[in-house]
Amino acid sequence: MPGYENLSRLDLTYREDTPRIATREGVEIYYESRGAGTPITLLNAFFLTSPSWRVFTEELAKDHRLISYDLANHGASSHVAEEPTWDEHIADLIALLDALEIESTYLVGVSTSTIMARDMALKHPDRIKGIVLAGPVFGPKGMRRQRQVQRAWLRTLENHGIAALYEHLYPEVFSAEMNEFLGAPGFLGFREAFTALSTVEDLVNGLTRAMNDEHKPDMLSGIRQPALVVVGDDDFLLSPTGAKELAEQLPNGRHEIMATAGHVPYVDDAETFQALLRKFVEESEANG
Amino acid sequence: MADRAAQIRLRIRELLVGLFTDAGFLSGVPDSVSLRQAGVSSNALVSLLVEMEDAFGFQWDDDVRPEVLRSIDSLADHVLALAA
Repeated sequence: MPGYENLSRLDLTYREDTPRIATREGVEIYYESRGAGTPITLLNAFFLTSPSWRVFTEELAKDHRLISYDLANHGASSHVAEEPTWDEHIADLIALLDALEIESTYLVGVSTSTIMARDMALKHPDRIKGIVLAGPVFGPKGMRRQRQVQRAWLRTLENHGIAALYEHLYPEVFSAEMNEFLGAPGFLGFREAFTALSTVEDLVNGLTRAMNDEHKPDMLSGIRQPALVVVGDDDFLLSPTGAKELAEQLPNGRHEIMATAGHVPYVDDAETFQALLRKFVEESEANG
Repeated sequence: MADRAAQIRLRIRELLVGLFTDAGFLSGVPDSVSLRQAGVSSNALVSLLVEMEDAFGFQWDDDVRPEVLRSIDSLADHVLALAA
């Protein structure tokens, strides 16, 4: 059973000494680079920020180079007038990799950012060594469920504010195990962090953008790189069976189920998540 | 009642200070100031809420409004209201 020890050390503060990287006109990206070795780039879901990765990836950072960053219009990266399209987010990532002199990387998408991991692998296969889809927002038959969830969250946010959105999504996103373990103090305390992390505008724009994707099951057949689907068995969006079927649509795909974990599985069990990533990267590297 | 409120505020401050190895930054923070603005992390807030349950003999409820958790003052008011 996970002990949520990592979560108890969650540090969301930004490093003031990190230079931003200019990616497009008017856009500078906040990023963090930790460790040395095979590069692994960590994509945020819209609700999470770059610093949140630190405590959940400490073991991996001992012998890998981990890149995390805030998407444009989120966290400490530039905020521009229009919410970036997925293609613009991808352009930012390419520019970030160029600036950091990373020729190719493993890419970890979580929740909403699994869309971006999928598209990066399809559009820039030369830059991607492999992808990890953790808590994918698309299933083997499509993503109607995800869009319905996003729409419901959006309406809660627009009508009742960020605290209400948190109350809406918390029992959906996080596992029953974690919910019981943290109790009301955890629910209330992390609500403070959630409401401070984002603005209503950022979240409205992000949720709207997240709904604007037309996943088709046959898209995955174009991904030739190694791919790992990781799903908690308490993920409200995708069942273990769905994860297996999704992995089967990837020509070089496999899946792993994390016991008692929810939609963001590394929050529930960072140790197991990192071990799965390590194994995936090692085996993919060995198979070259 | 005023004495009781002052005691609760003092106890909450003690619990808060006990969470940090270097709690010096809290000494100049008035009871009315936002804990977040004072530099109290969400983890520290979670720990404080757990400590308050033990110290004051109650359990937090998910229905508690965000403004209750804002400051030492608002936390103390909540404890006082529960006891009334």
